[in-house]
Amino acid sequence: MPATPRVPAVVGVDIGGTFTDFVVLPSERDGALRVHKVLSTPDDPARAVLEGMRELGIGQGVAVVHGSTIATNAVLERKGARTALVTTAGFEDVLEIGRQDRPSLYDLDASRPEPLSPRELRFGARERIDSQGAAIEPLSDAGARDVARRVLDAGVESVAVCLLFSFLNPDHERRIRDALIEAGAGTYVYLSSEVLPEYREYERTSTTVVNAYIAPVVHRYLARLRNELGSGLRIMQSSGGSVTAEGAMARPIETISGGPAGGVVGAFHLARMAGHPQMICLDMGGTSTDVCLCPNRVPETAAWELGGLPIRTPAIDVYSVGAGGGSIARIDAGGALLVGPESAGADPGPACYGKGSSPTVTDANLVLGRLNAGYFQGRSQLDAGSGGLTLDPRRAEEALAPIAQRMGTSTMEAAEGVVRVANANMARAIRVISVERGHDPRDFTLVAFGGAGPLHACDLAEALGIPRVLVPLFPGVLSAQGMTFADVSREYSTTVMLRGDGLDLAAADEALAGLLERGRRDLDEMGTPGDAAVAHRAMDLRYAGQSHELTVPYDGENLDQVTAGFHEAHRTRFGYADDGRPVEIVNVRLKLVSPTDRPEPPRNAETRPDAGAACLATLPVVYQGVSHDAKLYARDRLRAGNVVPGPAVVVQYDSTVAVPPGWAATVDPYLNLVMAR
Amino acid sequence: MDAITLEIFKSLFSAVAEEMGAALGRTGLSTNIKERRDYSCALFDAQGRMVAQAAHLPVHLGSMPASVAAAIEHVELGPGDVAILNDPYLGGTHLPDITLVMPVFVTQDGRESIAGYVANRAHHADIGGASPGSMPLVTDLFQEGLVIPPVKLVERGVIDRQLLALICRNVRTPEERRGDLTAQIGCAQLGARRLAETVDQYGLEEVAQHMQGLLDYSETMTRDAIRRIPSGRYAFQDVLDGDGLTDEPVPIRVEVIIEGDTLTADFSGSAPQTAGPVNAVLAVTQSAVLYVVRCVAGESAPANQGCLAPVRIVAPEGSVVNATRPAAVSAGNVETSQRIVDVLFGALAQALPERIPAASQGTMNNLAFGGYDPVRRRPFAYYETIGGGMGARPSLPGDSAIHTHMTNTLNTPVEALEFDLPVRVREYSIRRGSGGRGRHAGGDGVRRSLEFLAEADCTIVSDRRTSRPYGLAGGEAGASGRNLIRRKGYDVDEETPAKTRIALSPGDVLTIETPGGGGWGEAVP
Repeated sequence: MPATPRVPAVVGVDIGGTFTDFVVLPSERDGALRVHKVLSTPDDPARAVLEGMRELGIGQGVAVVHGSTIATNAVLERKGARTALVTTAGFEDVLEIGRQDRPSLYDLDASRPEPLSPRELRFGARERIDSQGAAIEPLSDAGARDVARRVLDAGVESVAVCLLFSFLNPDHERRIRDALIEAGAGTYVYLSSEVLPEYREYERTSTTVVNAYIAPVVHRYLARLRNELGSGLRIMQSSGGSVTAEGAMARPIETISGGPAGGVVGAFHLARMAGHPQMICLDMGGTSTDVCLCPNRVPETAAWELGGLPIRTPAIDVYSVGAGGGSIARIDAGGALLVGPESAGADPGPACYGKGSSPTVTDANLVLGRLNAGYFQGRSQLDAGSGGLTLDPRRAEEALAPIAQRMGTSTMEAAEGVVRVANANMARAIRVISVERGHDPRDFTLVAFGGAGPLHACDLAEALGIPRVLVPLFPGVLSAQGMTFADVSREYSTTVMLRGDGLDLAAADEALAGLLERGRRDLDEMGTPGDAAVAHRAMDLRYAGQSHELTVPYDGENLDQVTAGFHEAHRTRFGYADDGRPVEIVNVRLKLVSPTDRPEPPRNAETRPDAGAACLATLPVVYQGVSHDAKLYARDRLRAGNVVPGPAVVVQYDSTVAVPPGWAATVDPYLNLVMAR
Repeated sequence: MDAITLEIFKSLFSAVAEEMGAALGRTGLSTNIKERRDYSCALFDAQGRMVAQAAHLPVHLGSMPASVAAAIEHVELGPGDVAILNDPYLGGTHLPDITLVMPVFVTQDGRESIAGYVANRAHHADIGGASPGSMPLVTDLFQEGLVIPPVKLVERGVIDRQLLALICRNVRTPEERRGDLTAQIGCAQLGARRLAETVDQYGLEEVAQHMQGLLDYSETMTRDAIRRIPSGRYAFQDVLDGDGLTDEPVPIRVEVIIEGDTLTADFSGSAPQTAGPVNAVLAVTQSAVLYVVRCVAGESAPANQGCLAPVRIVAPEGSVVNATRPAAVSAGNVETSQRIVDVLFGALAQALPERIPAASQGTMNNLAFGGYDPVRRRPFAYYETIGGGMGARPSLPGDSAIHTHMTNTLNTPVEALEFDLPVRVREYSIRRGSGGRGRHAGGDGVRRSLEFLAEADCTIVSDRRTSRPYGLAGGEAGASGRNLIRRKGYDVDEETPAKTRIALSPGDVLTIETPGGGGWGEAVP
């Protein structure tokens, strides 16, 4: 018998609002996955991470992949560094003007978010680069020194430098950095030509400023963790890859949204392993739901925002909608039932938690029997010491009663209405990422996770014609689990703006070669062999004159093949293509991936279909106004091959799965629940 | 219609309009569409009543139904057809706004039935006429550009190439027009497909019923909001700086009459229609009223025709708020509409002093220019509008450098502008101190300087260059704007009128300073 291959254990750590989750991938092939949770410590998030590691008995040297909320919170709560911005003189306000639009058309009280670098910390340098990259007003040494001195006099911790057209000619930005460092600026100086060498000054400035704003906070946090956990520490990035702590410190902006990225990566890997590589993620939490369509790969975008601030670094293309378990239901003045975007959050939480009185989606699920007061998630076990969290169906009914009264229906019907409206909101989000982008939902598997996703997944699948739903074994800690799958990767891009008759790929190749050289050097510096990394190239193309680009993979094809690929992508995305129209190459992109070893999860032999041994009780559950006798199963007692016919409810440590009438759930060899009609 | 179905269909219909908008923004060719998103998309029922509109531009809001009505009346629309129009007196607003209307047919019981209409409207950077950018300071519609009455552009899915050729031959940048119109056709077809899919899923009758339900819903919401305004008569008057030909102020007056759950906006006493192009056609006035009503209604009522049911508009024919053919109208849509909003809010502030903001900049600062680019060896035509100060709110200051009220178009990034056109931006900043002082200060305007690198024929259509955005509750008025030219080789700026046409040469620098918003409440000393 061959020896069991030994691979290093990996720990995934995800910080959530209530809990910090740990998933330990075992070093033996057949070892069981370990899941651990500790209460989060928002005042000092590292404390919960270190405490959990101690409780797990994991010391230095073990590979730990961590998704931090530090950067996200610093931006949302405005707790980042005092940050200066240096711009071309006359353009100091670009950051504040933004795109001159207002966030809400009819809301007279709406305001735009405040810029992260306030007016008194924005400084102009006399210089100008033109659209050809020529320095039509050269930066003088005295000018560079002058702006550096003004920045230093303002007493800032971090500096962003963003000059017009610096992506074509970074010389002035570099000289300003030199002057800043000479004048005594610390390490936190970031150039837009390095953070995001792409055109459109506002988006580039915003991205560079966000990066500078969070850098000191991220550095302090990671330095401490790195100290405690050793060189095995890797950080999850918004793009779904991971980097060493040193790599993350070099580009702090890419650590934003590492947690949600982990969820998508986890869902994608688990579904692909189970034979469902075309999948749509449904991550439903307390206040919002994230959806993401993966057509055999994890999709990326370079256009997203955080708290109203645009960010243009690569991120997993996740679409968010304000519908979650805590979303509040109400009837408006016109008599429509609205659900969300207001949320009861974790505090006071849904009415049935015992503190608040607003009716929420969770309350509706409880009234309908899809959630069960006696078997609500694992939270009750965890909280046992601190008073426990039990659900109170009476409070849920009381909260929903006024809605039922306004609608002139029973509480039960009102509850079904709340669930239907929440589902409609989520279905719309899935339509946006599927139908509206040229994908047919019938070709996909819906992978549901987050605390509430598995409760709604079958109804959503039904509405969208999605043939099957997969719920992974640990839907509540999938972000942490996904981190254990994350390869080491780093991405680069730059604007080349190749257009016109003489369109030539040589310039694109040259730019890509430059990115590759820089990337390999970066990886080497952060302790990952750059030569071993696999390079994935891509280009952002558009029709001449358009301003929205489509990213198309590029692997040394000739120009005709590149443009053909673009026409095809355009046809898929927008329903038409114009083969005769000239094409422009706007940006080139490079992704370096250094695959990491990861153990395969164990495959379980399938046993008989009868799931009777896992059945805990029979309870009433309401669907379409009819109360059904539904069996209640314990997820941890289900074995591969078991079949659970609907209507049924499967309860587990971190989530609840609803199997509606007409649906059946089968336990696959990886212990995923696969549900179909 | 029950509360659940109502909410679900509200979301379904607005999703169609929003998807149309997203597609048009990504496929449009001109800077004005792709970068500035100067367009709107909407969905109509079988009678041509607007059911849902994507949250794009309020100025298009109330005026889109007129387009659909005109298309229904004047074009025999069959399956796969698309009508085009821009005639301000027949469904349009001003000539650069080209609207496409497409019927949605479904096959039911073996025959074709009309399920509704989709429409989209985009502001084209040039539609011919006396000056590039088609915002000329002229005295009638014929000088303003090519007038397109409602006609078929697409018949049974096939584009009428001859009509397209005729249109393109009459504009300064034909390739751009062709690209934008193609994108508008694609957008209409997408919307029609989506509405047809919805009908397939739910059935014709049910969809029609829910469209009616949504109109009723918005009406209920609006009546509810009006009922919360104290009944009474509230009058307000303000002025436009001039009609584009003279500096004679053009008064706009309104009396808002609240009676129970109905609102009457009576514009009697406003100036007669003018020789210059500040005339608003009735559809524009309706848009402005609908916008204000929609803001006051507050909640999430879809902006559809139901909002107008409890609203009566009295606008004397032949006045500046209801012009008759062939008066020039290019600025009515963009400037007069803003002042109509100002007088409506000025009147309502007397009824709702704790809710209504002071006046915002009250102009869109339209800048249009064109010519021939010797470096890129092609003609160019460009149009932009510039944000300014937002009026202070009763509990908040106004935002700076932002578009308010009837528009919400984006700016063109400096780097995109310079990649495409023979101009160099010299400054783009916030005009500090231009907002009116008050307990809450008005937002500041913008200062934007462009150096021209080629000969250009330039038109500026702006307002609040003499008059100032009013403050409320003792707050100061915002600063008026200024348009300045510094000729190459000179070191002084000359100030130009609010509305003007100028020939610019390489090296000339044009600077636009936009107005600040009014302040709210007395400033604390």
